[in-house]
Amino acid sequence: MAVLTLDSLQVLDASSPERQNAFRQFENLPLPGPTDEAWRYVDRTIDLESVALVSEAGDRMPADEILAALEPSQHLVIVDGKAVQMAGEGFGIESTKLLDLVSPDTDKLAAAHRAFVDAGVSLSLPRGKSTTAPVLIEVQTTAAKTISFPHVTIEIGEDAEAEVIVAYRSRDGAQAISVPQVEIDIAQSGRLRLLALQEMSLDSTIVVQLRARLGRDATLRLGEVGLGGDLARLDMAVDLDGQGSSADIVGVFFGHREQVLDYRMVLNHRGPKSSSNVLLKGAVEDASQSVFSGLVRIEKPAIGTTAFETNRNLVLSPDAKANSIPNLEILCDDVICGHGSSVGPLEEEHLYYLGSRGISPQRAERLLVRGFFQEVLDRLPVSGMEVALAEILERRFIRGQQMASDQ
Amino acid sequence: MTTALALTNLEASAGGRQILNGINLEIPFGEVHAVMGPNGSGKSTLCHVLSGKTGYEITGSARLDGDELLALAVHDRARLGLIQCFQYPTEIPGLRLREFMLEAASELGIENGAARIVEAAEQFDMTRFLDRSVNDDLSGGEKKRSEIFQMAVLSPKVALLDEVDSGLDIDAVREVAAAVDEMRSPEVGVLMITHYSRILRFVIPDRVHVLIEGKIVASGGPELADTLEAGGYERLRAELGLQAAEEQKAPAPDPFSELPFEG
Repeated sequence: MAVLTLDSLQVLDASSPERQNAFRQFENLPLPGPTDEAWRYVDRTIDLESVALVSEAGDRMPADEILAALEPSQHLVIVDGKAVQMAGEGFGIESTKLLDLVSPDTDKLAAAHRAFVDAGVSLSLPRGKSTTAPVLIEVQTTAAKTISFPHVTIEIGEDAEAEVIVAYRSRDGAQAISVPQVEIDIAQSGRLRLLALQEMSLDSTIVVQLRARLGRDATLRLGEVGLGGDLARLDMAVDLDGQGSSADIVGVFFGHREQVLDYRMVLNHRGPKSSSNVLLKGAVEDASQSVFSGLVRIEKPAIGTTAFETNRNLVLSPDAKANSIPNLEILCDDVICGHGSSVGPLEEEHLYYLGSRGISPQRAERLLVRGFFQEVLDRLPVSGMEVALAEILERRFIRGQQMASDQ
Repeated sequence: MTTALALTNLEASAGGRQILNGINLEIPFGEVHAVMGPNGSGKSTLCHVLSGKTGYEITGSARLDGDELLALAVHDRARLGLIQCFQYPTEIPGLRLREFMLEAASELGIENGAARIVEAAEQFDMTRFLDRSVNDDLSGGEKKRSEIFQMAVLSPKVALLDEVDSGLDIDAVREVAAAVDEMRSPEVGVLMITHYSRILRFVIPDRVHVLIEGKIVASGGPELADTLEAGGYERLRAELGLQAAEEQKAPAPDPFSELPFEG
């Protein structure tokens, strides 16, 4: 039985032409699958029949361990894409606001989001303003077997600066699907540091659609931490429209059990002298899988652009698999671009070097894995969580080591 | 005086090719010995075999302060007191030198590891590198200094120095040599493996051994290095009645010699 129906749309606001159009697209478009280029290598299907739209938001989840040390200036919680709770006061917070940066015309899930989006948070920083401490936006999925469409919009005014954390979680056993959208618009000389923490339960699916638009000399620093989800997908596109705009994107993930972690990262350079740097490092353990599909596209006006993308993957078990597809598409001259990618186990010569100092192979592996991730943790755009994250990553690695030695 | 390192009839082959042809060598505690040899003589293999790199078929014996090394894994050799200074130390992004040394000191049962690290870093001018990634973005000279610093922290019984002067300019050689000289102590035996006699002008060895075709063909005092410097390996071959290099079959190449990793 289909759950995303016209009836359910009526509950929202079916008179909106945007919702109606998106709903039509949703009905017409096929579900994406492994035969679509954008979903290649993804060994999962999304079962829309197994979930229902949220009728009522559940209770808020207990506090997040990783964020324990954080003292946010504002704390907002979107529960089940249905209700927003606010803790602390601040400026610039509004309810749902859609910039429509994600087109509903080609993507069934984007269309579903546009048609059924309900509760969201919008942060809008006026010109010259800056946040004093990070704004924390939690996106929680608590209602079992539901699908929800939480929405986060961040607008940074001219020369304004913000630090934001978006944390995605779901209750264990939720078996839910979350399709959040994050829309970012940074005006001239605006600066955004955004950290996304994805800690969904291992029985849930999350597909984040993130779009960012950067004006002249605007700066985006984005950190992506991927830990949870049965299927966790980041569909990201950053448009470097303004001259001198820059995006620094780092990410770290650790897949285990049967997780599929899927990163699609597109950077469109349109502004001259714009720059981007992508560094995504991840490990896959057990029978987990990862995908990195990166595209750096440098359009004709983007003369003098600098762009680098790097994806490094540690494959820690024979049943785990990492796919890495970095791409460059350069349509003008006078640019400096590079990409690098690697997939494999820990390097023998590193293990040997550590061994030559008396360090046992088991300890050496842990040190090397810690070092592998440290490079990214050191560069996260919001600090204060790197110790907790390093511990989580190490625990996950040690668990895998112990499983391997028990066999 | 007891023996720090004793090699007896040490033979090694890789991929069916014999590389070391029965090496006998004794290094007493407190002495610095240099093993010199031309390219392809087996110097790198000797280093690999002693430190525990896999991929060789080995017979004979190598004892460190009486304990047999050859059956042990690399980390167990280090725990017995064998520490190698690599020719090409590998870079490990993300692993900080201080953390690495703390871990190693703890595995080797070294007391006051943290304080020793700070002290040795001062001594070898490595303080500013302690909280940076191991060997990352270091110049050739700095890498070698880092290796010597690591040795100072880990206080080996046998220090194995593989081409410690390679790729360095003369000032850096002098600097590294001074560091090696500081390591001299009655508790340490030092084995320096080197192609050139250059560094031996600054670190005067107690004994010099010449390795040709996997065998030690001559041993002597520091003056042997001067002889080599003056006449090269060819004259020594002639004096010893060995075949000239041109006439003999090509020496068995070390299968690892092409790898950038520690030569």
